[in-house]
Amino acid sequence: MTSRIFNFRLVAVVLTVFATLSLGHAQDIPVGALIGQSLSKLQQDSSPEAFQNCVAELKRIDAMAPGSAAPKYYIALQSLNFAVTNPHAEQTEGLISEAEQAIAQLEEIKEADHSDLCTLKGFLYMVRIVQDPAKNGQRYYLDVMNYYEKALKLNPDNALASQLQEKFFEGMRAQ
Amino acid sequence: MKHLLTTLFLALTVLCGAFAQTRIDGTVTDAQGPLVGVNVFVVGTLDGGITDTLGRFSFVTGRTGEQTLRAVLLGYEEYETTADAASFTNMEIRLREKAASLDEVVVTASTYSLGKSNQIKTMDALDVVMSGNSCGDLVAALQVLPGTTVVGENGKLYVRGGESEECQTFVNGMHVLVPYSTNVEGQGQRGRFSPFLFKGMSFSLGGYGGEYGQALSSVLPMETTDVASSDKLGVSASLLDWNLGGTKAFRQSSLSFNAALTDLGLYTKLFPDRCDWTRPYRKLSGEAQYKLELGPNSVLKTYAGYDWTSVGMRTEGRSLSMDEHNVYANATLHTQLGAGCTLFAGVAESFVLSDIDDALAAGDRYHNTRNEVHLKAELGKRFTPQFKLSAGVEDYLRGSGKRYNETGYDLKYHLLAAHVDAQLRIVPRLFLNVSARGERLSYNREWLLMPRATLSFVPNTRFQASVMAGRYSQTPEDDYIARGQYRLRQSTADHLIFSMQYATARTLIRFEPYYKWYHHLPLLSDGVYTADGYGYSRGFDVYLEDSSLRNLTVTAAYSFNDSKRLYLDYASPRTPEYASRHNLRLTAKYALGKFIVGLAETYASGREYAAGKTPFYNSLDANVTWLAHPKVIVYASLNNLLGRTNVYRINPDGTQVGATRDRFFYIGIFVSLKNNKAYDISNF
Repeated sequence: MTSRIFNFRLVAVVLTVFATLSLGHAQDIPVGALIGQSLSKLQQDSSPEAFQNCVAELKRIDAMAPGSAAPKYYIALQSLNFAVTNPHAEQTEGLISEAEQAIAQLEEIKEADHSDLCTLKGFLYMVRIVQDPAKNGQRYYLDVMNYYEKALKLNPDNALASQLQEKFFEGMRAQ
Repeated sequence: MKHLLTTLFLALTVLCGAFAQTRIDGTVTDAQGPLVGVNVFVVGTLDGGITDTLGRFSFVTGRTGEQTLRAVLLGYEEYETTADAASFTNMEIRLREKAASLDEVVVTASTYSLGKSNQIKTMDALDVVMSGNSCGDLVAALQVLPGTTVVGENGKLYVRGGESEECQTFVNGMHVLVPYSTNVEGQGQRGRFSPFLFKGMSFSLGGYGGEYGQALSSVLPMETTDVASSDKLGVSASLLDWNLGGTKAFRQSSLSFNAALTDLGLYTKLFPDRCDWTRPYRKLSGEAQYKLELGPNSVLKTYAGYDWTSVGMRTEGRSLSMDEHNVYANATLHTQLGAGCTLFAGVAESFVLSDIDDALAAGDRYHNTRNEVHLKAELGKRFTPQFKLSAGVEDYLRGSGKRYNETGYDLKYHLLAAHVDAQLRIVPRLFLNVSARGERLSYNREWLLMPRATLSFVPNTRFQASVMAGRYSQTPEDDYIARGQYRLRQSTADHLIFSMQYATARTLIRFEPYYKWYHHLPLLSDGVYTADGYGYSRGFDVYLEDSSLRNLTVTAAYSFNDSKRLYLDYASPRTPEYASRHNLRLTAKYALGKFIVGLAETYASGREYAAGKTPFYNSLDANVTWLAHPKVIVYASLNNLLGRTNVYRINPDGTQVGATRDRFFYIGIFVSLKNNKAYDISNF
């Protein structure tokens, strides 16, 4: 793996757009609206502080609806989004832990979309590769691909999984 | 006028809103000082803030009256207070560190997890293949770990002063009767399973829980990969083995096959050794797997494998000829029932048939069949994050028949076992795993009850210390049972292990002293085996792994072992022939662009035989992996670079028996024909 594969600034923007676009699928409309409000701030400001504030806001929304899958999904997604664009920032490990916890909580929710879960897991391993391509590239590469494949098998219309997988293929072709 | 009224109304609304706003501020600390990144907010609103580097927070809320304020930070207990919003000023919030639950703590004492462990991989199949001296053999790769001993004449796993038979292998929780492919005496045997079959393994060097039995020293549980998500097809070739494997993925299932031929004929012609082969070593293997996801939390896995091995050589005036057929199949179901309950059920069948002509003397004939059916069921429940319980039953149905010329035996018995395991967090940072295993052996109606316990202190994510104690059992080998007039009781071993580990993202240091007491070992007395043998094994293992330097991973493993036993035909207690007092392994792996270079140094002090002590064992091995193309990997290794002639055994007449060749060269190419993943040589 080489670092140039992972031009994740672009991915971050894509993710934000997808996140906003997929709000229509949120299970709980008021919660969905609040999530949208929180995520939309990232389109104006995508600084590390803005990501952190967004994740904090999403956790507040999660506290309003603890049984809802949507806030947890976006907590994980935005935490990973921050980590992928700031792989060595001071806050990154903390946010990856947030993502891991949110994914674990999502797994406990029956209604959680398994295709989305697989996408998040693939993204988590992708972040680990970005953090240390030389060491983790070889180790986690197959996990990333397997999770994206599974996500698309469960839901062929999962645009985020498709986009992230495409980024990965691009990276491989660039080698 | 209408416009003016509207403007006034809006202005009033804004003003009222402004007056209604309440400022909330304060600091958040823990025992060490200010906490940064704490999310402080009014529950039920988006109003909140994050603490800065001095632990300060400040925000305004539109809420008035009685409100709940919450402060959350990962790894800490949540803080919550309910009061009038106006009173939330100059707050001094103190957070307490959260004690880890059972699911968050993985006790690693006496266990080396390869594959996924706690979401972090330490070693995967490709690591095994690229391990300095493994040549793709799983068993050889495990021998870089501390606690193992180099026994070159058979290559099997010997752990902490125990026999190779004392280490048992489990695939998806089910027992494998013969996990090695066979070979003639003095030739190394390889593990019969490909490393690519498995997504994870936990090599336990002792002190394991009640689930595992029939292993005096150690267990090697391995878990096969999950349902494949895409089709694969690949081939590999080397001077000595050829392989074809593929997988067809369906929506919720996958079917895999693998066929391999190993033939040392060509290799021996190119690189002759010191043996006089009449028929070169050949092994033909076929394997198939079908895995089905019955639901999001329910998986059915099946595996079937067959090996046929054939070899012939002239030795000591006879023409030894050997054939072995080894069949292993298992099916397991693992499902989560809800409410924290899990159910596991499995069945496994092992069948091995061996025929040897001129086995011990010219003209003799040896015929042996061994069969085992293993049935197992286990139910588990997580009652609270601090308490888990599991209980299971299993039955080993065994049969064997042996004929050597006109003599022999037929043996049939079964061993029924049940176990209960409880895991609990006694107080924060202190964990206890206590289990009991009961076994009943059919041929002598013997009952055994074996308590086991592990107490672990885990103060943080970096350090842990554990003490483990327990009793373990194993039925003697079939030959001893038959020659023990079907009265031989199970051998037992009491383990006492202390473990300390310090681990960071890039460094792992572990120190483990241990003591094992053996009881009821088979002992030959007046031509009959009795259970009067005994012994001990004590020592310590040290392991260091570090990847602080970019692209470089180094490991160092040292084991000291002092063991003595009175068993088999020993006249008095002595160190068993397979045990070395000092064992040292050093490995280094360096990634250089598309090349990965590995070096491994293995040292073992001499082994004691009745006729003398062997010289020390030493081997410096090197390998290189070339990622030639995303679909092509080339691997080459050279074992024993220095060409030392290692001696494995000293016969009673004083002659030395050693390796049949000083160096071993391997080169192989792995090609993916249909696989969308680069550098994936796992087609099975």
